[in-house]
Amino acid sequence: MIPVSYNVRSLTVRRATTLATGLGIALVVFVLASSQMLARGIERTMGLSGSVDKVIVMRKGADAEMSSAIETRFVNLVLAGPGIKRGGDGQPLGVGEVQLVVALERADAPDDREAAQVSNVQLRGVPDNVMAVRPQVRITQGRPAKPGTDEVIIGRRIAGEFKGLALGQSFELKKNRRGQVVGIFEAGGSSFESEVWADIETVRSSFGREGIVSSITAQLEGATRFDAFKGAIESDKQLNVQVLRERDYFEKQSENTADLVRYLGIGIVFFFSIGAMIGAMITMYGAVSARQREIGTLRALGFSRTTILSSFLLEAILLATLGGAIGALASIGMGLVEVSMMNMQTWSEIVFSFEPSPPILIGAVVTGGVMGLVGGFLPALRAARTSPVDAMRA
Amino acid sequence: MRDEEEPAKTLIRVEGVGKTYQRGRERLQVLKDLSLNIREGAYEALMGPSGSGKSTLLNLIAGLDNPSEGRVLVDGTDLGAMGEGKRAAWRAANVGFIFQTYNLMPVLTALENVELPLLLTKLGKSERKRRAQTALKVVGLEDRASHRPDQLSGGQQQRVAIARAIVTDPKILPIVTDPRIVVADEPTGDLDRQSADEILELLEKLNTDFGKTILMVTHDPAAADRAQVIHQLDKGALASQAAPS
Amino acid sequence: MSLARIAIKNVGRNRFRASLTVLGVMVAMVAFVLLRTILSAWTMGAEHAAQDRVATRHKVTFLMSLPKRYVQDISTADGVQAVTWCNWFGARLPDRDDVFFANIATDPESFLRVYDEIELPPAQREAWLQNRRGAIVGAQLARQMGWKAGDRVTLAGTIFPGDWEFTIEGVYSTKRRSIDQSTFWFHWDYLNDNADLPETMRDQVGWIVSKVDSAGRAAGIAKRIDGVFDSRDIQTLSMSERAMNTSFLGMLGALLQAVDVVSVVILVIMMLILGNTIAMSVRERTNEYGVLRAIGFRPPHIAGFVLGESAAIGLCGGVLGVLLARPMINQGVGRFMEENFTGLFPYFRLEDSDALLALGVAVVASALAGAIPAYNAGKLDVIDALRRVG
Repeated sequence: MIPVSYNVRSLTVRRATTLATGLGIALVVFVLASSQMLARGIERTMGLSGSVDKVIVMRKGADAEMSSAIETRFVNLVLAGPGIKRGGDGQPLGVGEVQLVVALERADAPDDREAAQVSNVQLRGVPDNVMAVRPQVRITQGRPAKPGTDEVIIGRRIAGEFKGLALGQSFELKKNRRGQVVGIFEAGGSSFESEVWADIETVRSSFGREGIVSSITAQLEGATRFDAFKGAIESDKQLNVQVLRERDYFEKQSENTADLVRYLGIGIVFFFSIGAMIGAMITMYGAVSARQREIGTLRALGFSRTTILSSFLLEAILLATLGGAIGALASIGMGLVEVSMMNMQTWSEIVFSFEPSPPILIGAVVTGGVMGLVGGFLPALRAARTSPVDAMRA
Repeated sequence: MRDEEEPAKTLIRVEGVGKTYQRGRERLQVLKDLSLNIREGAYEALMGPSGSGKSTLLNLIAGLDNPSEGRVLVDGTDLGAMGEGKRAAWRAANVGFIFQTYNLMPVLTALENVELPLLLTKLGKSERKRRAQTALKVVGLEDRASHRPDQLSGGQQQRVAIARAIVTDPKILPIVTDPRIVVADEPTGDLDRQSADEILELLEKLNTDFGKTILMVTHDPAAADRAQVIHQLDKGALASQAAPS
Repeated sequence: MSLARIAIKNVGRNRFRASLTVLGVMVAMVAFVLLRTILSAWTMGAEHAAQDRVATRHKVTFLMSLPKRYVQDISTADGVQAVTWCNWFGARLPDRDDVFFANIATDPESFLRVYDEIELPPAQREAWLQNRRGAIVGAQLARQMGWKAGDRVTLAGTIFPGDWEFTIEGVYSTKRRSIDQSTFWFHWDYLNDNADLPETMRDQVGWIVSKVDSAGRAAGIAKRIDGVFDSRDIQTLSMSERAMNTSFLGMLGALLQAVDVVSVVILVIMMLILGNTIAMSVRERTNEYGVLRAIGFRPPHIAGFVLGESAAIGLCGGVLGVLLARPMINQGVGRFMEENFTGLFPYFRLEDSDALLALGVAVVASALAGAIPAYNAGKLDVIDALRRVG
C-alpha cells in the first residue's frame, strides 16, 4: 500500500487544480442536496398537515377541498359515523370547514395596477372547535379570533408576505367587509402555516357559500378505525362523499409539486455530474502525467499495478468526497431559506423550507465520491499501465 | 570583417553592479561591485563555477533583470531606468537570445518560430515571412522551414533559435534598430561535439560577417576558446579577464 | 501567422485534455441551453398572450363565479368589440388519472369571435355551433388522445358531479401562439341547462373575456370595466391576458428563480473545468512564456495567448453544445414537454436567437475562466519562468 499521506500531499501541492475540481463537485452536490431537501420540505410540510388517525371527507369526485362541496346538513350525519372520537363534552371531534383561495397582492408588489403581482392564498373558514381537532395549532402572537366576528388569524409563514396580512392589518373579503388580523399562529411546520383562518360564517356569507362546507375533518378513535368509518360513510348513497385518511390526502396534494422539484433536480444533476466527472478526469490525468517519473520509480521499486491503480483511485475519491462534503455542508445553509411556491394542486402559495436529513446529505456526499471514482478510473488505469522504463526516460 | 582603422566604441558598460536576491529570510548576494566593458562587435565569454553569477550578469546585460546596485548601460542607455514595458520593447529590438535548451515553441514550425519576434514589429505578413526565410538561410536550415521542433535534431533546433535571435537584425535586412547584441546561455550545453562545433561556427559567423556583439555563458572550454576575451567569475566577482590561451 | 493563431495552435498541444475540456464545456452548454429554454418557454406563454383581450374575474377569488348578466354589462362598455364567457369545468377522463387537460365551457359563437386566431374548418365550425353537446379540441390534445371529429367522449365531473357526454365536432389549430392547442371547449348552455345543477350555480360564469379595439387601451378599459361593477355586490378584477399570465408567472417565481440560479451554477462549473485546464497548461508552459517575455513580448501578449486559448476551447465546446442541444430540444425534450405538459409549456423550442446568445455566453464565460490563469501567466517573473523547465 502506498501511504494516503502521499495522495493528500499531492492534492495540496496542486492547490489551484484541487480547488477548482473540488469546487465543481461541491456545486453539483450542493444542487443535488438542495433539490432533494426542497422536495422533502414540500412533502414534510404537507405530510405534517395530515395525520393517520384523522379522516377527511369530501364530495365524491372532488380531487381537492377547493372543488368539493357538501351540504351543511350532512356534517352531523358524517360526524355521527362509527369510530369518531368524542371530546370531553361528548361532542364528536370533527369540523366542517369551507376552503377558498383569495387573491392578494404580494407585500413587495408595486402599486402599479398592470404589474400587480397577485397571488393566491388559502382561506379556511373554521368553526369554534377547530383548535380541539387541530391541536398542533398554537397562537404565537396576538390572540385568537373572537367567534362570530370578521377577525382572522394567519399562519406564521405568510405573515408579512402579502398586503394586509400582518398583525393589526386587514384585507378585503368582499366590498365593505374586511378581515381583521388579530393573531398569528404556528402549526408545527405544516402547510396550515401558509393559510388564513376566519370564522366559518364570515367566509360563508362573504363568498356566497351558505349552506355548504368544503370538507369535513374528524379525529378517529384510533388509526385502525378508518376502514369501518370509510365503509359506513361511503356506502351511504345519499351523502355521495369519499373518505380519505388526512395524511394521504395532504400527501397527494404535494405529490406533483414535490415530484416536479425532485425530478427536475435529478435531471439537472445528471447533466451537471457529467461535467464534474470530466473535470475530475482532467485533473487526475494531469496528476498522473505530472507524476509519470514518480510512478515509474514506484513501479521499479516493486509496487504492483493494483497498488498504483488503487492509490490514484483513492486520490480521486478523496478529492471528490472532500468537494462533496463542502457542497453538502453548504446545502445545510439552505435550511435557513424559505421559498414561497405555488402548489400545483391548489393553485395557491405555500411557503416551504429546505429540510436537510442525514440520508440526503450522506447520499449527496457519496454521489460526490462516486463522481470521483468514475472520473478517476481511466486516469488511474493509465497510471497503473505505466511502464517503469518509459516513465524514467520521460 | 571589422575595419581595423576605426576604433571600436564601448557598447556595454557594467558599472559597479551588485545583485542581491531575497529568498525568504535569506539574502543572497549573487554579484557584488562588478564592472565590465564590452566593445561593439566583440565576442566574449563568461565562465565560472555554478553559482558564480555568470547567468545573472548575462540577464542584467540582456535587460531581463534590474541590478540592485550600480548601472548597466548599453549604447549609453541605462537599462535600470527603463520601465518593464519599455525594457521589453528594447529587448525585442536589440537583443537576440539563445538558450541551452533552445526553447522553441513546440507547436510552431521552424519558420514560424523564427518569425515570432517579428510579430512585435509593424512589418506586413509577407515581409515577415521573407525575413524569417532569410534568417533560416543564414543558419542553413531553409529546407527545414516547415518542420516542427520535435522533428529536428538538437543542433538544428539551436540553429533555429539562432535564426530567431537575429531575425530582426538590420544587417540582414534593413530595419531601424541598431546595434544588436546576442546573448547565449550555454548554447552548446545540450549538444554533442559535432553539433556544438557547428553552432559555435555559426556564432562566429554572426560576429565576423554581421558584426554581432556576442556574449556567451559557457562551461565548455572549446566554446570559450572561440571568444576574444574570457571573463572568469567567482563568487559574484570578476576573477580574471584574458584572451583565450 | 498571427498571435491568435499561436493561441489556437496551443489548444492542440495536449489534444486529449483539450478534447475532454471541450466535452465538458459541451455538456455544460447543453444543460445551460436546456435550462434557459425551460425559462424562456415558461415566460413565452406570457409574451405571446394577447394584449387586446381583457379577462374579468371575481375580485377576491377565482373559485367564485360572476353573474351571467355581467356579460351584457361589459359588452356595452366603450372600446369592447366582442365578449364571451367561460366556466372552468375541471372534469377528468374516467379511469385515466394519468391524463390531465383543460376543459372549459364557453359560448361557441362569441368565443370564436373573441378568439379569432382559432382555425377551424367551416364544416366543423358549423357542426359545433349546431350540436349543444359538441366540443372542439386542440390539435395537440387530439394527437395525444387519438381523437378525431365524430368521436364520443365521456368526462367525469369533479366540480360539476356526474358523467358528461360529448361529441367531438372539430379539431382546431391556431394562427398565433396566444392560445394553446390542448384545451377541450364545449357549450356553456349544456352545462347551465343541466337539471341537476344547484340553483346557486345556474347562470354563473367563471370569467368573461372581452376583445378590445386596441391593445394600447386594454389597461384603461380593464379599469373602466371594474369601475362599472364597483358599486355592485360582487366586484371584479380585470386585466389583459398578458398581465394575467405575467401574474401567474409571479406565482411560479420561486421555481423560475431556482432554475435561473441553477443555470448560472452550471456556467460556474463549466468555468471551473475550463479554468483548471488552462491553469494546468500555463503551469506546463511557464518556461515558454519566459522565452516569449525575454524576446520582447509583454505581459498583455502572454495574457492574450492564454485568454485566446481559453476562448477557443469555449467556442468549440459552445458550438458543439448548441448543435447537440438544438435537435435534442426541438425534436426530443421539447416535443415531449409540449405533449405532456402542454399547460405549462405550450411552446418548448430553442430559438435561433437564444442559441446564438448561449454561444456568446460560452465564449464570455470561457474568457472569464481564463482570466486568473492569464493574469498569473502575465505577471510571471521572466527569470524565474526561464529557469523552470517543462
